[in-house]
Amino acid sequence: MVRSESAVEVRELEKTFRTGWPRRRRQVALRGVSFAVRAGSIFAVLGPNGAGKTTLLSILGTLLFPDRGEARVLGLDVVRDADRLRERINMASGSASFLWSLTPREILDITARSYGLSGAARRARVAALLERFELAAFAGLPYNELSTGLRQRLALAKAFVNDPELLILDEPTVGLDPDIAVRVRADIAALRRERRVTVLLSTHYMREAEQLCDEIVFLREGRILARGDPASLKRQILVGDRIVMGVEGAGWRGVVRLPGILTVSAEEGRVECLVDDARKRLPEILRYLGEQGVSVSDVGVTEPSLESVFIELAR
Amino acid sequence: MRRYESIHRPERAGGCAPPPPEAAGGTGRREGRRPEPSRRSGRQGAGVRGDPMSRLGVEVTKVSAFFQKNWRMTRRNVMSVFEVAFWPVVGLVSVGLMTTFLGLGREAAVFVLVGTLAFSVVHVCQLDVAYAVLFDIWGKSLKHQFLAPVRPWHVVLGAWLMGLLRAAVVFLLMAGVSRWAFGVSFLAPGWSPVAAFFLGLVASAAGVGLGVVTLLLLLGVHAEVTAWSGVSLVLLLCGIYYPVSLLPAPLATVAGAIPLTYFLEAFRAHFGFAPTFGEPLLRGYALALAYLAGGYAAFAWAVTRARRTGMLLRLSD
Repeated sequence: MVRSESAVEVRELEKTFRTGWPRRRRQVALRGVSFAVRAGSIFAVLGPNGAGKTTLLSILGTLLFPDRGEARVLGLDVVRDADRLRERINMASGSASFLWSLTPREILDITARSYGLSGAARRARVAALLERFELAAFAGLPYNELSTGLRQRLALAKAFVNDPELLILDEPTVGLDPDIAVRVRADIAALRRERRVTVLLSTHYMREAEQLCDEIVFLREGRILARGDPASLKRQILVGDRIVMGVEGAGWRGVVRLPGILTVSAEEGRVECLVDDARKRLPEILRYLGEQGVSVSDVGVTEPSLESVFIELAR
Repeated sequence: MRRYESIHRPERAGGCAPPPPEAAGGTGRREGRRPEPSRRSGRQGAGVRGDPMSRLGVEVTKVSAFFQKNWRMTRRNVMSVFEVAFWPVVGLVSVGLMTTFLGLGREAAVFVLVGTLAFSVVHVCQLDVAYAVLFDIWGKSLKHQFLAPVRPWHVVLGAWLMGLLRAAVVFLLMAGVSRWAFGVSFLAPGWSPVAAFFLGLVASAAGVGLGVVTLLLLLGVHAEVTAWSGVSLVLLLCGIYYPVSLLPAPLATVAGAIPLTYFLEAFRAHFGFAPTFGEPLLRGYALALAYLAGGYAAFAWAVTRARRTGMLLRLSD
């Protein structure tokens, strides 16, 4: 599983939180998670609330140490080499919070200092990030006066302050206006395309994962339920393609007996078939309907969305 | 969409940003691929270690992050005016007037006023060390500072330097008020004893602050009250308003383990009070250093533990 070109290599990762006193409560967050992320790819971690997504990303971001297992990021161990690793990665959370009385410029300036950037280089970096994330007009406003969208953009800008080789984004577009969210997605895609930055992200927006990601893992209760690229996941889960036809005539009922047809339903002259593979089954259905004397006025094919895969897996 | 090159190109040579591919021994192509991770791993931090900044410069810059954070928060925070000016002065004036009302002699007044000065200076300075963590706990932003490649000593030293600055302001302000209102000059012993005393106070404050931040990271924000109650208790044992010889034997032993006890003794000796202990300054510094070392070790351990238990995340967004 572990490959030399991997930016992230995770093997049998386990994490359990123990909280409460005097009676300790155990909450298992990760139960033996293993995967690898190709360098330069965009990798999504999906799953319902409490699946262990943030725990996993926090371990890879060195904010949390695992109980067992091994995680290497950019060839460095997340525990033993954490100090060196922190210089090369960064992380942004969709629900980030910063000191309320500091301004975006001050927050970026202080963050840049903590990465060792000084003088003109730091000022140029801060100015470029304010410009890039369209925060320049708000650079002098206290954080508590910024809108949710501006706060989100500031969190993203902060994540670029050290020019990371690997970026961890925990729900990066949650709460953003649609136009900003689209731009953030474009930025993430550009990062990979132009700078070969590896991106790990968790998201609740399936369209985001589908548009952006080369590979996806589905987590539930700390375990990986499925992994692969968006298309292969849909095939794995067998959610099925949907064929909707406008028909005239009653001979369509026999369609259900054709191979690969999962369900058939009809309403007001429209027949909907759920099939395993539309490309393979549509010609067979049309041939059958022709033989039965059923005329077809129009045909629409819908592939399953990642969302339907998610719902299926989270069930 | 604007290209990332526009952000990253100008400052490639500085800080922790990677140098251009040609400088890293790459292909020289600016666009497109970055150097392979395996090749980069051999030079990680090269931007930090190489030109134009020395390693020392980078460390100083990291420390300055935490000084700047406290400095900017202090400028914005109305409470800081109270911390630096109002409460110390009110405390000093109250105690001074009380000594007048009670008809205490000049000697006793000096004894008590020196104690009040020490208490205020230590309190303000340790507050800044505590703020290194506390501001971020209040702002639920603690994880950001520990996501950066900083060591616990960067955090504490930066915050302590700000504390030192505020403590110096408190010291000078109280010295001025004391001289003007009660005719007692804290600067009378001369710069050298004053500097030794002040250094002892801020060193003690660093130890106290480290204790507070360690408790905060171990127990969370609920430790705040506990930590400062403990601090007040310890400070009261070290003879701020009375000689430690007045304390019952077990408490006097505890007082003997507090560096501030010795710094107070050493400074009061310049006002004619015979010290109970020999070489109080040396003892005080030795103890303060021991507490600093122990406190720092405890804080570093607490940071590691917070990463293990998830406390770092619980105290963040």
